[in-house]
Amino acid sequence: MINKSFLCIARSFLVLSIVFVVVGCAGNQTTPENTDPFESANRVSYNFTDTLDRYLIKPAAEGYVKVTPEYARQRITNFFSNLLYLNVILNSYLQGKFYQGTQDVLRFVYNSTFGIGGLYDVSTPIDMPQHQEDLGQTFAVWGLGQGPYIFVPVLGPNTGRNLPNLVPTYLLSPLFYADAVIAWPLTILYTINTRANLLEATRLRDEAAIDPYIFTREAYLQRRQYLIYDGNPPQEQYEDTFDESYLDDF
Amino acid sequence: MIRLGSFTVFILLCTVLVTPVCLSEEGTGATQVVENLHRSLIEAMQTPEKFSARYKLLSPVITNSFDTPAIARIILSRHWKTLDETQQKEFIDLFNDLSVSTYASRFSEYSNQKFKTLEQQDLNKGRVVVKTEMLQANDEPVRFDYILHENEGNWYIISVIANGVNDLSLKRAEYGTMMEKQGYEGLVSELNSKIHTLKTIE
Repeated sequence: MINKSFLCIARSFLVLSIVFVVVGCAGNQTTPENTDPFESANRVSYNFTDTLDRYLIKPAAEGYVKVTPEYARQRITNFFSNLLYLNVILNSYLQGKFYQGTQDVLRFVYNSTFGIGGLYDVSTPIDMPQHQEDLGQTFAVWGLGQGPYIFVPVLGPNTGRNLPNLVPTYLLSPLFYADAVIAWPLTILYTINTRANLLEATRLRDEAAIDPYIFTREAYLQRRQYLIYDGNPPQEQYEDTFDESYLDDF
Repeated sequence: MIRLGSFTVFILLCTVLVTPVCLSEEGTGATQVVENLHRSLIEAMQTPEKFSARYKLLSPVITNSFDTPAIARIILSRHWKTLDETQQKEFIDLFNDLSVSTYASRFSEYSNQKFKTLEQQDLNKGRVVVKTEMLQANDEPVRFDYILHENEGNWYIISVIANGVNDLSLKRAEYGTMMEKQGYEGLVSELNSKIHTLKTIE
């Protein structure tokens, strides 16, 4: 049974996505100097999300880590990773990575069956590693510009190009079609487990950042570039830091 | 004994992986700087008792492996020339202290991590990138790419890229914003506060 409230949310995202696809296309003209044209609004969104995180989500994640053994948390992480893998499969094919896409199909089938619903990752040891693909990366491969940086309240950092990825993420998630009695508790568990997996990263950010907003934005945008190139960025990427005129002696 | 074992494996790995890609003497020099740093990081991770011990161990290695004056200029970019000589020197020393403190704080627990050199590539203007990864027993490998340049016959690291995130670009964006909002004094105060936190976190 399709949950009506989910459908409503999906429709809203669809409309938003269309808007952002257009913005994303316009983003072809963006330069490193104006990746964040909505900084004021983004900072408001960041501060709201940070407050929500500090007083609700982070304490819940810390409590969850205390009461849940690492072994169980790893099974839960594997389960959700497998549950949301259809989007990875779709985008592997959309990027023309047919061998990888087929490997991803097999990975999903193996982990869903032999891995007991995805609780165990039985595919990585037999050379079918987990890939990280999404619609934002597909659009990048197709040549679309990054578009503006957007900090989505609660959901976190994003870009105009990647925002439409919310649509296949929801539509290809079995949770989307599950009854609310199952969908909501699992969504809450997913949120807390995901936040728990990020506790170390945010601790390091808090330790290092003098402006956490800028730190998050730069780290996110660079990480996205890294994923787009599957961890093998072209040589120019390494030169970007040194290409400004006031560094001409470097 | 454990240290000797890891070290032997490390050397073997480096011999196997580095030989095919390091054809020139200069290339070997750049890779050696990175591998020397990695050896010290492993040693630091095996010295978990005290921050001060790790700081003392890493300080000379980091000071000699990184071209901190060049890094400081790149990070402050257009703001660099607005500082007088004393401020520039102060910032270089402060940044070096921050780098050593950060490494001493981060590389504090040893659980059989190993560094592996993947390859070295030439970049523009005589720079090179040395690609490596840190293998962990129960986690995904972490990729560390180092950009180095040659200065007076020696190779120095000028940028570290961890899993695609370039520390130099990140700091330039952050520090640039801080310089614009709070000026040099504000930036120095923030950095001192970060260093103090890192040194007293244990």
